[in-house]
Amino acid sequence: MTRHIDQLPTLGIGASLSLSSDPDPVKLVKAQGGPKFVEYAGLADVDQVIDEVERVHAAGAPVLYHPSYINFCGSFPNSTAWLEATAKHIATVKSAWFAQDVAYCFWQEGPGYSTQLGYFIPPLFNEASLERAIIRVKEVQAIVPTVVAIEPPPMCFFAGSLSLFKFFGTLAEETDCAILLDMGHLVSYEMASGNKIKDELHELPKERVIEVHVAGGLIKQSESGPVYVDAHERSIVDETWQMFEAMLPELPNVKAVCFECENVNENAVLTTLKRIRNMVQDNSASQHLVATLDDAA
Amino acid sequence: MSFEVQERVLLDLLFDSSIREQFRNNIDATLTKYDLDENEINDFKTIRPDALELDANMRTNLFIAHICRSFPVTFSLVSSFNKGIELLKKLVNAELMHTPPTERTTVYGTRLREQLVTLKFDNQNEQPLITAILEAELGMAWTAATLKQVVLENGLPDDMQQNDKSNWSGRPIKLASYVSAAMLPQPYTKLKQKLCPNTKCDLWTEISKKQLNAYKRNIVLQQEDPRLLIARAQVNHVSQCEPGIDHQTIELSEGFAHLFQHVNGSASIDQLLTAFKQAGAPDPLLQSVKAGFKQLIDNDMLFLN
Repeated sequence: MTRHIDQLPTLGIGASLSLSSDPDPVKLVKAQGGPKFVEYAGLADVDQVIDEVERVHAAGAPVLYHPSYINFCGSFPNSTAWLEATAKHIATVKSAWFAQDVAYCFWQEGPGYSTQLGYFIPPLFNEASLERAIIRVKEVQAIVPTVVAIEPPPMCFFAGSLSLFKFFGTLAEETDCAILLDMGHLVSYEMASGNKIKDELHELPKERVIEVHVAGGLIKQSESGPVYVDAHERSIVDETWQMFEAMLPELPNVKAVCFECENVNENAVLTTLKRIRNMVQDNSASQHLVATLDDAA
Repeated sequence: MSFEVQERVLLDLLFDSSIREQFRNNIDATLTKYDLDENEINDFKTIRPDALELDANMRTNLFIAHICRSFPVTFSLVSSFNKGIELLKKLVNAELMHTPPTERTTVYGTRLREQLVTLKFDNQNEQPLITAILEAELGMAWTAATLKQVVLENGLPDDMQQNDKSNWSGRPIKLASYVSAAMLPQPYTKLKQKLCPNTKCDLWTEISKKQLNAYKRNIVLQQEDPRLLIARAQVNHVSQCEPGIDHQTIELSEGFAHLFQHVNGSASIDQLLTAFKQAGAPDPLLQSVKAGFKQLIDNDMLFLN
């Protein structure tokens, strides 16, 4: 296990929220059984979010920053200005690590947020794509000193010859980075590719998985079968809960479990956090994570 | 072996509906048009065409929701036509995605202007009225994009404010940088209130679910209260990544449009008012016009030579 990943703090069970809209992160942090940390997907420039982040800090919770503008794959390099802004952002808000989906956020015409492509475009899963992804992650690491956790993106379709964990396992090993697994994204991969996550677990460097996400979603039935769509404002689907239950015993080094709950009402957030805590208690192989439950409601 | 070509295929599949249609019917025939070897072609055979279509539709909707914010009144009006929503979505294509991000909104707006003619208008007045509204919104999009690019390249420009406003009525005037002017059939603020009333909801989500009623469009467009909309793009957040730009607007009476033809850096306000008086304008009107010019100068929308 790489020392710099092993030394990261264990944050416990938290929530991913929009800093400036409901549900209010500070109110949730202060609530009995609320999140132990707040993750947010914000703008690159830290001065745009620092007031809200300081409110969360003042309430006693650390934050994790989740950008949505870094190309961790593909041929199109990241802008130095954007990466420098990222480094400044992370240092200012004291994010213990940062994570983002490995996907296209922008094309060759210039950098920008993933919204300029609608949302993340998943990478091609082949050797040439993997080579570029290694270059992209190292390019980010050269400017942003904080540990990065790479995340498989949500996908309606799958293109390529490499399995998900072959791609991400190799990428993590080659760049010595951590991994974030979003349970809904894994469900989306299963539906898009027809492959089963449990059949690929041997390709995953499990000790590098430091963060797990669960979030609401939607399963659409198309002609050739189901398609999973990320939809944080909706309920968590059964398939995601089942994936969570199946993955927790496999991941010994998880330091944070995050419920992505932007625009979910406060009571539903607290109820879901309770269910997540119970599942972690019953199933997690991460003793440090389970230990954080002791002082939770 | 060309990964770059595979990336091009990926973008085409997501943003080119005709390529997607071909892909659905015959994957091999579609991909042999690209310079790919057998293995590279095989990478795309794992894609389920119906899932790809679903992704592309969701992606277009998310992308266009952002574009819609620059053309709220136009989008609302166009949505009320038969196949209006279809037209708005059709303009999001691979070619648009290959333009630089800072130019996409203006390129989109320009193409929409070209395509307005394909709508089936109820009467001969509708097209020029909707075109005028689009021109006004496109003008603001254009000044925003230009200013954003300037900030990205050189930081905050030093011509955003004019400190020396002495003898303001005696010096030649011209439009300041990043300022657009357009005639509208009604005040822009009123058009937005009438046609985009639900400010809490994302406009694209709203109109793509429930289009503007054509009858309402007719009623709104029949009301005449012409205004000259002057809009100045301004920086609300300096950044080397994503500068924030918004607009300050002033709406003046229709009569200003004629005077604005002479705002070209050669005539002063006093000279314009003298000529206006000689043409028979009464004193109260002259005072009102002078106050309007003063308002524009105070807000740095006119530049004093």
